Amino acid sequence: MMKVKSCRDAVRAISQLHENEKLLAWVQSRRMVAWLTPIRRRQALFLGALLAGMMGLLHRHAPWRDYLTATTWLAPAAAMPLLLGLVYLCYLSATHFRRLPAPVRRRPQLSLHMVFWLMVAAIWMTPEEAGLWRTVLALIALSLPYLLWRCGYMLMSGQRGRAAGTSFRDHLFYLWPIWGGTNTPAGKGWDYLSQCEAQSAQAYARSGLAGIKLLILSGLWELSLLLLGGLVYADAKNSLTALVGGYGLGIPRLKRIANGEVAASWLTTWASLYFELVWDTLIIAARGHQWIGVLRLFGFNVFRNTYKPLLAESIIDFWNRYYYYFKELLVEFFFFPTYARCFRKSLRLRMLAAVFAAAFVGNMYYHLLQAKNDLIAGQWAELWGHLGPRLFYCALLSLGIYFSMLRQQKQRGKVGAGKAGMADFRKLRRIAGVWTFFSLINLWDIRSSLTILGRARFLFSLFGF
Amino acid sequence: MAGDRPQRKADLIQFLRTIQRPDRPIEEIDEDQRLVESGLIDSLALLQIVLYLEQTYDMDFRETGVDPAALSAVGAILDLIERSKTA
Repeated sequence: MMKVKSCRDAVRAISQLHENEKLLAWVQSRRMVAWLTPIRRRQALFLGALLAGMMGLLHRHAPWRDYLTATTWLAPAAAMPLLLGLVYLCYLSATHFRRLPAPVRRRPQLSLHMVFWLMVAAIWMTPEEAGLWRTVLALIALSLPYLLWRCGYMLMSGQRGRAAGTSFRDHLFYLWPIWGGTNTPAGKGWDYLSQCEAQSAQAYARSGLAGIKLLILSGLWELSLLLLGGLVYADAKNSLTALVGGYGLGIPRLKRIANGEVAASWLTTWASLYFELVWDTLIIAARGHQWIGVLRLFGFNVFRNTYKPLLAESIIDFWNRYYYYFKELLVEFFFFPTYARCFRKSLRLRMLAAVFAAAFVGNMYYHLLQAKNDLIAGQWAELWGHLGPRLFYCALLSLGIYFSMLRQQKQRGKVGAGKAGMADFRKLRRIAGVWTFFSLINLWDIRSSLTILGRARFLFSLFGF
Repeated sequence: MAGDRPQRKADLIQFLRTIQRPDRPIEEIDEDQRLVESGLIDSLALLQIVLYLEQTYDMDFRETGVDPAALSAVGAILDLIERSKTA
């Protein structure tokens, strides 16, 4: 019993290393920590942002070499200053928000996204032989989905009156972050980052240690992925598979079963369904911890991107913990504006509209922008192949979130009490319910050539129909 | 209903108790304590706060939008109420 307790204490001490006062005092006393003031850290991030912006542009340029005629180095060289100019214009709009024309002031996000769609329309309308300028335009349009949400946060700061007096350097570092990431801005924008920025050496030491902890956790999740790939999936490409002599469970990946590439028993299919959720969660946790870990190393002690989603007891809780910054994006850009404007007389309708605006409309729109290559090249069949099944996924997700919110609302305000044993059982049942819901709707999110109906048939087969 | 700051604060805390998380009852609360981050309420309970502000103080978020930072702590919410009174 004592051993279990001391073991638990040791794990707690490691997991809470950023709260260890002795360690904090030691880190804080390092010359480097004192030297790295908020201004210096932001300067480093600013220079890194310019580099990250250029690297990103070159990266996006690569897949377009096959489609476009003018593929010389001139295209990224011309696109970079234009893109930087666009971002600067956006910064000026945020800092001088009140001077913007009234329609833009009323709908700043819509105006921002209009710029992107006008560019896409211009690309669609120009012939491929148009030459260099079309390539430049395409490159800028390809870069915009990464920047749109980040610039959106910048405009939001302007709208809330918090951007005035900030410098371009204060914003560029999160527009082209050196910590990378997806189109979702990890750490959101200036408003949130500035609230979480460490101002003292002690706060910076704490943030740095919290960052190191996340980077270690990220490594652990990468290791778990390796174990899962080798021991559960027995993936031939996994280095562990050969090491254990192919003695893994050999559970096929869900998309292979769904596509009919392999035959699997009913039990194996269910196991594959749940393992897919664990796999996806580990991937998102490993990557998110890297982004946030780096952010914390630079003194921005922001929320984690993923926080124990597999222990969530409700759909809404899972959604909140799985990919926090994506959920925040949907909530801030779609949920709140709809909630503030629509169906103000009916609470339930108001909530339903806001949930669908975020989890359905926002989610679909985000993924439409993510499929930028197909979108800009006008490859409609491929685009539908990616997004068609997702329509159903988002609809189910929205319904799940809505009902979960209603349920949670009923429970709010009540102080929890009950028998410990029964409470544990109920907790496990709730966790299992959340796993099952997300594993099942994931059928419409996996990469597969199956149609919406084909996926539905696969779902019914899981229940013996 | 909309009295001075101490009265508004008492009303607000009373309201927050109706939306608290079942596992984190609200006892004492500082004006600067961050409601969501400290786990007193979940992020979606912010909607209930918006509704409370609309119904109690006749606030309208259509033009200004909902700013989560302005609803992040009791003090911030009280400041928002005061700003809306002077606007």
